Amino acid sequence: MIARVYIQAAATISHQPVFGVRGFAASLSPLERGSELVQPAYKEYIDPMALRRMSKILRMSITSACEALRQSDIAQPRGIIVGTGLGCLLDTEKFLSNFLTLEGLIPPTSFILSTHNTIAGQISLNLSCHSYNITHTQNTLSFETALIDGLMKIEEGESPVLVGAADEHIPFLDTVAAEWGYTRLQLTSAASFYVLSGQASSESLAEVLDAEVIAGQNGTDESVISGFLERNGLTLAEMDLILSSGTAVKTDVKQMDYTAYSGIYPTASAFAFHYGADYLSSVSGSRYVLIVNRLRPENTGLVLLKSIEA
Amino acid sequence: MASAALKEQLKKQIIEQLNLEEVKVEDIEDSAPLFGEGGAGLDSIDALELIVLLEKHYQLNVTNPEEGKQVFYSIDTMADYIEKHKA
Amino acid sequence: MAAEVYVTGMGILSAIGNGVEENLYALLHKQPGISEIQMGKKRVKAGRIPLSDTELIKLLDVKQTPVSRTSLLGMAAAREAWGDNRLSPQLRTGLISATSVGGMDLTETFYADYLAKRPADFDVLVCHDSGTSAEHIAGYLGITGYINTLSTACSSGANAIMLGARLIQSGRLDRVLVGGTDALTQFTVQGFGSLMIYDSEWTRPFDDTRAGLNLGEGAAFLLLESQRSLEWSGNQPIGRVGGWGNSADAYHQTASSPDGKGAVLAMREALGSLSPADISYINAHGTGTPNNDGSESAALISVFGDTLPPFSSTKAYTGHTLAAAGAIEAVFSLLAIREGKVWPNLNFSNVIPDTGLVPVTEPESREVNAVLSNSFGFGGNNSSLVFTR
Repeated sequence: MIARVYIQAAATISHQPVFGVRGFAASLSPLERGSELVQPAYKEYIDPMALRRMSKILRMSITSACEALRQSDIAQPRGIIVGTGLGCLLDTEKFLSNFLTLEGLIPPTSFILSTHNTIAGQISLNLSCHSYNITHTQNTLSFETALIDGLMKIEEGESPVLVGAADEHIPFLDTVAAEWGYTRLQLTSAASFYVLSGQASSESLAEVLDAEVIAGQNGTDESVISGFLERNGLTLAEMDLILSSGTAVKTDVKQMDYTAYSGIYPTASAFAFHYGADYLSSVSGSRYVLIVNRLRPENTGLVLLKSIEA
Repeated sequence: MASAALKEQLKKQIIEQLNLEEVKVEDIEDSAPLFGEGGAGLDSIDALELIVLLEKHYQLNVTNPEEGKQVFYSIDTMADYIEKHKA
Repeated sequence: MAAEVYVTGMGILSAIGNGVEENLYALLHKQPGISEIQMGKKRVKAGRIPLSDTELIKLLDVKQTPVSRTSLLGMAAAREAWGDNRLSPQLRTGLISATSVGGMDLTETFYADYLAKRPADFDVLVCHDSGTSAEHIAGYLGITGYINTLSTACSSGANAIMLGARLIQSGRLDRVLVGGTDALTQFTVQGFGSLMIYDSEWTRPFDDTRAGLNLGEGAAFLLLESQRSLEWSGNQPIGRVGGWGNSADAYHQTASSPDGKGAVLAMREALGSLSPADISYINAHGTGTPNNDGSESAALISVFGDTLPPFSSTKAYTGHTLAAAGAIEAVFSLLAIREGKVWPNLNFSNVIPDTGLVPVTEPESREVNAVLSNSFGFGGNNSSLVFTR
């Protein structure tokens, strides 16, 4: 990669109590069944006339985005880049029900808020920000493709950028999961937003070395992982921590299934990104974290993080 | 003159239709502008929702958003419109 | 010096034709594809493609099941754009699609059954999310690796082209299929209906009496290649992606700002070091809504002043194809360059008094060296692309 990219700020709203917290990595416990979303006081971040319409995913996203910007003291990012797997499900479900069952005029609000780019759009409205605005929707790879877009923006000289991902759970998803025979881990909601910059500072959590997506291939082919690391002059053995989902990576290196901590949602690798950055900034002596997202076996997302001191 | 009862009912319906979670019936003044910065702060999406509200609760059809601007100016104008067209 | 991004392949399926040559014929002969259709409970004027899902599956020999109409339209267009190119371990090939509805055509049928407590096929829900159609299209052509989908409403297709160009310039990909696809669904037909944004008649872009849009469905893809890929493939470029720009209006969730601020920023960024006088033709977003055409006109005047090149909206031909629009209109822009023609803005009669802008109303022969194509989305996402020889 041509430019160096640093994580200046991070904010996550999830079933874990990590919003506004630094140095949580060492003490985090896996989620218990029946855990709930830990939600901050949205009123402190969003105007009531805007808040009244917003579903869970919008509230979580805008609040995390605002918090990340506040932490990094940035007023206007040079890009707002969002990833989401399933988008605004609450409003999608509401509009579907409405037009299928109501006679007469159909209320428009849920249609407007069901479009995937509502999240990035609302963030830009909130900030009166006119810069690059985009929404990535490649199911379990949406965070990685958004991240790669962000890395390119910084290479192009546009820094800093706001990059994030979010997904919301609705009860209907549990019905679908049961039909498909999936019950292992709890389906959850979350949003994670980051300020990425081409400049390091004393506040930087970690450096982003590289990211890649490999879709449509057999997810157990480990050579894509070694190939990715090789292109960055590294090997698997040099990693201090591997955060993985789906099939575990065949290695003796310390490895953690991040979905045990985040629950299951399409863009859960965004949670792993926060965990990895937090780990590197708080666990001394750690140098590299590798994220291997194989939440769906045919889609592999890879992200390589490095500590600031290394 | 439209009745106070109609205006109160209308306010309740508006609060519900527009998700005005923080707003109580007593907070809405009869003659105050509903739209724009100086008023209750409603926007063009709310205008569409009010058209739906009139059809759902009063079986009245405001046919386009432009006509809506006159009708939806305030609680008073909405109530007067309902009274006039219901008879 | 930023690397060149060549366009070497095009594919399109729209209400005015299956394939590039059929679309070209319709453009030249002023043959629109708008008709009255019934979508569930709603009757609207729209640009529907006269091929059923079953016909498409047969025509394309599709094995994937279940498969959404959005994927099928995309497969047709992507297959045409890919042509007889071959995959190679020497070249990193990717695919970027764009969609608003994804597999909603299947989901809404499922959900109707589910709500009515009839037997409902849960398996179709695998097609629901936006990313699945890109996977199906890529799988259909055997492409693996970087597969992505963007969803920014009406600017999606243009954004997919922009992202592909940037991935090539950054050296991450050698070549990439880029475009968009959206099928007509009850969800969108009802959705736009709830916004009271339709014209019950045939749409009239940039006309003073315009009343709204007609929806459409379709798909289009371009094959973009780097210099290195071009040397390997030996393909003849059709043109180049010469510039791009994206900006958020940050004005309102559904309306564009009256002065078209985001549109102005996007167009200026796309022009880059080109001057407005270098543009031979503008393919406008021109949906036919009072809001868009008014604010786009203001934006065009801001950027081009007195030297506005010939411009038109082609949405009276195809309808507004949402995420596919930016890609369909990219094909029309490249055809303008290839054929030396500018396309007419159908159904135009009355000048907007405030702007005095008159679009092209007949297909005209011109020297076309550079085309600006606008795609301005719902929620204020504005994108512009410049195509050159």
